Amino acid sequence: MRYVLRRLGLLVLTLWAAVTLNFVIPRLMPGSPTDAAIAKLAQNGPVTPAVQAAIEAQLGVPGGSWWNQYVDYLGNVLTLDFGVSYTFFPQQVSGLVAGALPWTLIMVGLVTVLAFVLGTLIGVGAAWRRGTWVDSLPTVGGSFLSAFPYFWTALLIVFFLGYVAGWFPTSGAYSATATPNLSWQFLGDALYHAALPAATILLTSLGGWILGMRNAMINTLGEDYVTFAEANGLRGRTVAVRYAARNAILPNLTGFGMALGGVVGGSLLVEQVFAYPGVGYLLYNAVTNQDFPLMQALFLMITVSVLVANFLVDILYGILDPRTRR
Amino acid sequence: MTRTARTARRLAAAAVTVGVLATAACSAPVQTNQGAASDRGGNSSMLIAADNGSPTFDRNFNPFSSGKRNTATYIYEPLVIINEMSGEETPWLATGYEQPDARTIVFHIREGVTWSDGEAFTPEDVVFTFDLLKKHPQLDLKGVWSHMESAEVDGQDVVVHLSAEDVPAAQIISQSLIVPEHLWKDVPDPVTFTNENPVGTGPYTLGEFTPNQYTLEKNQDYWQADKVAVEELVQPAANSELDIVNNGYDWAYAFMSDVEETWVKADPDHNTYWFPAGATIALIPNMTKAPYDDLDFRRGLAAALDKQAIADKAMQGYVGRASQTGLMLPSQEAILDPDIPNEGYVDQDTDAALEHFAKAGYTQQGGKLVDANGKQLTIRITTPNGWSDWLQGVEQVRGQLGELGIEVEVVQPQPAAYQQELRSGQFDLIMGTVGGTGQPFQDFNGILGAEFNRPIGETASGNFGRFSSPDADALLAELKTTTDEQRQVEIAQELQQLTYDQLPMISLFYGGSWGLFSTKSFTGWPSEDDPYASPKTWDSTPLLILTSLEPAE
Repeated sequence: MRYVLRRLGLLVLTLWAAVTLNFVIPRLMPGSPTDAAIAKLAQNGPVTPAVQAAIEAQLGVPGGSWWNQYVDYLGNVLTLDFGVSYTFFPQQVSGLVAGALPWTLIMVGLVTVLAFVLGTLIGVGAAWRRGTWVDSLPTVGGSFLSAFPYFWTALLIVFFLGYVAGWFPTSGAYSATATPNLSWQFLGDALYHAALPAATILLTSLGGWILGMRNAMINTLGEDYVTFAEANGLRGRTVAVRYAARNAILPNLTGFGMALGGVVGGSLLVEQVFAYPGVGYLLYNAVTNQDFPLMQALFLMITVSVLVANFLVDILYGILDPRTRR
Repeated sequence: MTRTARTARRLAAAAVTVGVLATAACSAPVQTNQGAASDRGGNSSMLIAADNGSPTFDRNFNPFSSGKRNTATYIYEPLVIINEMSGEETPWLATGYEQPDARTIVFHIREGVTWSDGEAFTPEDVVFTFDLLKKHPQLDLKGVWSHMESAEVDGQDVVVHLSAEDVPAAQIISQSLIVPEHLWKDVPDPVTFTNENPVGTGPYTLGEFTPNQYTLEKNQDYWQADKVAVEELVQPAANSELDIVNNGYDWAYAFMSDVEETWVKADPDHNTYWFPAGATIALIPNMTKAPYDDLDFRRGLAAALDKQAIADKAMQGYVGRASQTGLMLPSQEAILDPDIPNEGYVDQDTDAALEHFAKAGYTQQGGKLVDANGKQLTIRITTPNGWSDWLQGVEQVRGQLGELGIEVEVVQPQPAAYQQELRSGQFDLIMGTVGGTGQPFQDFNGILGAEFNRPIGETASGNFGRFSSPDADALLAELKTTTDEQRQVEIAQELQQLTYDQLPMISLFYGGSWGLFSTKSFTGWPSEDDPYASPKTWDSTPLLILTSLEPAE
C-alpha cells in the first residue's frame, strides 16, 4: 500500500509540473496567434492592414500579465474549460478535442494493443526457437520494416494500395457523403477507411515489440531457474510462458505503458498522410497556428495520459515483479 | 501465477476479433472517393478544389468570420467586384457608383435582386451591413469604418459619407459582402455566429453538407441566372495533388511542379492551366539601419542580382522576374509610366553594382567586398521557414551576392515568428509581398506610406521597411483626394518612378496564382488571352468566373 501511495504522490507532483510547463512553453514560442493567422493568409498574397486589424480583434489575443493568465489557466484546467480555438474560430476547444479523440483512440489505440500483443507473442516464439526460421524471419523482417520511417511507409502504402490499385480510400475517416452515426454501414465504412493508416502503424511498430521481447527472453532463457525447470521435465510451453516470458516481459510492458499513454497524442505523421481527423492532425494544426487554447488542452491531455499510464504500469510492475515493491 | 497466461489468452482473443472485423470491413460495400467523383450528375456538375478541410470541414458560412468556408463568397456578394490583377471594376449588387466630391460616395443599388429565401434585396440591407460592421469591428475585414463616417438610404441609392477626403475608399467600401437584414438583425452575436444555413444573393446556395464534402446548388432565382451554367459545385475536403490529378477536377487552385507532366498529362485534351503573375515578392530593406538606409547601397544590391535567374529557381519558370515599379506586369500595363526604362525591369550589371557599393563605402579586396576597416560585408536575409519557393529564391540571391564577395546569412524563423519580425521591423533584409491589390493608392501606400510607419519594435501593418519620404507622402495625399481620373494616373506614374528610383524594396519576382482548369464539361476559363479574373478560388472574383462559364460542346 505504501508503494502505491508513494507512486500516487509522485504522480500529483509530476502532474503539476507538466501543467505548468504546458502553460509556459507555448508562450515562449516566437510570434502571436495573430501573426500566425496573418502568415497563413500571406501565403496566398498580400494581407491588407484592415484584415490584420480585424483578425486581431476577432481572436482577442490573451491580455494581462502572465501571472493572471496562469491563475485563469489553472482554474480552466480544473474545470476542463479551455475556451475558444483561434484556428477554428469560433469553435470550443472541448468540442474539437471531443470530435477528434474517438478516431484516434479507436484507430491508433486498437492498433497499438494489437501490435504489442502480436509482437510479444512472436517474440516469445522467436526466442524459444532461436536459430530456426521461426526466429530469423520475424527478427529480420521486423527490423527491416521498423527501419523505414513512418511517413515513408505511409506514403508508399497510400500510393500503391490507394491510388495505383484503388483498393482502399486515400484519405479521411469515412466516405465523402457519409455523416458519422452508429449504423453498421457507417462502422464498416469507418473500418474500411482506417485499414491503411492502421496497417502502416502496425507494420512499423511490430518489429520493435518482437525484437524487444525476443532479446529479453533469450537472456532469461539462460537463467538457472529456467534450466532447473527444464531439468524438472516441465512441458516446453510451461517453461517458455510461465518461467521465461513472465520475467522477460517487464521491459516490453514499460514500453507498452508509454505507447498507450502516447495513443491520445495520435499518430501525427500517419494522420497527416491519410488526412485522418484525429488528435495528431489537430495537434499539428494547433502548433502551426499558434493556437494556445487548443495546444494547452491537447498537451495537457497527452501528458496526463502518459503519466497515468506510467502510474498504472508501475503498479502492474509491482505485481509482476515483487522486487520493485521494496 | 496463471494470471498472466490468462490475460495473454484474453488479449490474443481480442486481437483475433479485431483482425476478423478488419477483414470483414475490407469487403464491405462502401463508396470511395473515386466513387464520389463519378457520382456527379453528368455535365452540369463541377468538381472543385476551392476549399480545404483541416482535415474535415466546419460548417461555418459566416462571410465575416476568419474560420469561414472559402465558398461563403459564392453565396454572399459585394457591391462591386474588382479584378485585382488589372484593377478593373465590375458593378455587381450596385449598378454603379458616383463620387460627387472626395468625401461622398453614392452607390446605385441594383433592383430586382432577391435573397435565396425569396425576400427582396434592398438598399436597407446595404446600410444594415455597414452598421453591423461598425458595431462589430471584428467583422470589418475590409476596414470600411476606418474610412466611413456614416451611410444612409436615399431612394434606391446608398449614400456613404467619408470621414475625410478619401477617393480610393470607394474601392474598399464597395467590396464589402452584403448580408440580409431580415435574418441577421436577430443574430445575438454575429462574431461567433457560424451561419449554418446561409441565405445570400449569390449564384449558389448550400446543398448537402458533411464534414468530408459539401455541395453548392445553383440559385435558380439568381438575378443573372441565365449566365450561370454550372448546376452544382462539389467540394471535397481532401484535395491532395494526387487527388487533383487522378480524380478529374474541373477547377483547382494548386501549385503543381512540372504541371505539364502531371495535371495536363492526366487528360491532355482538356486539362489546362494558367499561372498569371500576382503581387511582387521583394527583399525589403530596413530603412532605419545602416547600410540599408543608404540609397547607393540599395542600388548596388538591385544591380547585383539577376532576377530572372532567381525567378526561374523560385517559381520553376512559371512566373517571371518582377518590375521595380511595384506594378504587376503585364496586367497593369495600362498605368505603367512609359518614361521608365525597360518597363522598370532592372537588369543585372555587376560593374554598376560595384560602383554603387563603392559609393556606399564598400570595395572589393581579394575577392571580398569590404568596408573602410577591411571587414567583409555580411547581409542577413530573413525568410519564413517552410516556404520553399521563397527559400529557393533567397538561395539564388546568396549565390549571386557571394560572387561579388558579400557574405549572406539566411535566417528562417517559423511563419508566425517571421510575421512578427516583419511587422515589428526586426530585420536587415526580409522577404515579403508588396502591392497586389491592383489599386494604386492601396498598393503604393502599403509600400511607401507614412500612415503605416511605426518605430522599430511597434507593430506596423504596412510599409514594413519603415520607408519615409515627404515626396511620396505628398503624392499619396493628393492621390487620396483627387477625383480627376487623369491626375490619378499621373500620380500613380510618379509613384512608380519614385519606387523605381528610391528602392523602398528590391523587387525579385512575381508571386504566382495557380489555376488548374478542365474544359471537359465547361469552357470560358480565364486565360492569358482573356484575363478577366484571377484563377483564385476565394474572395469575390470567382463570381466573375462562375458567371462566364459555358457548357462544353
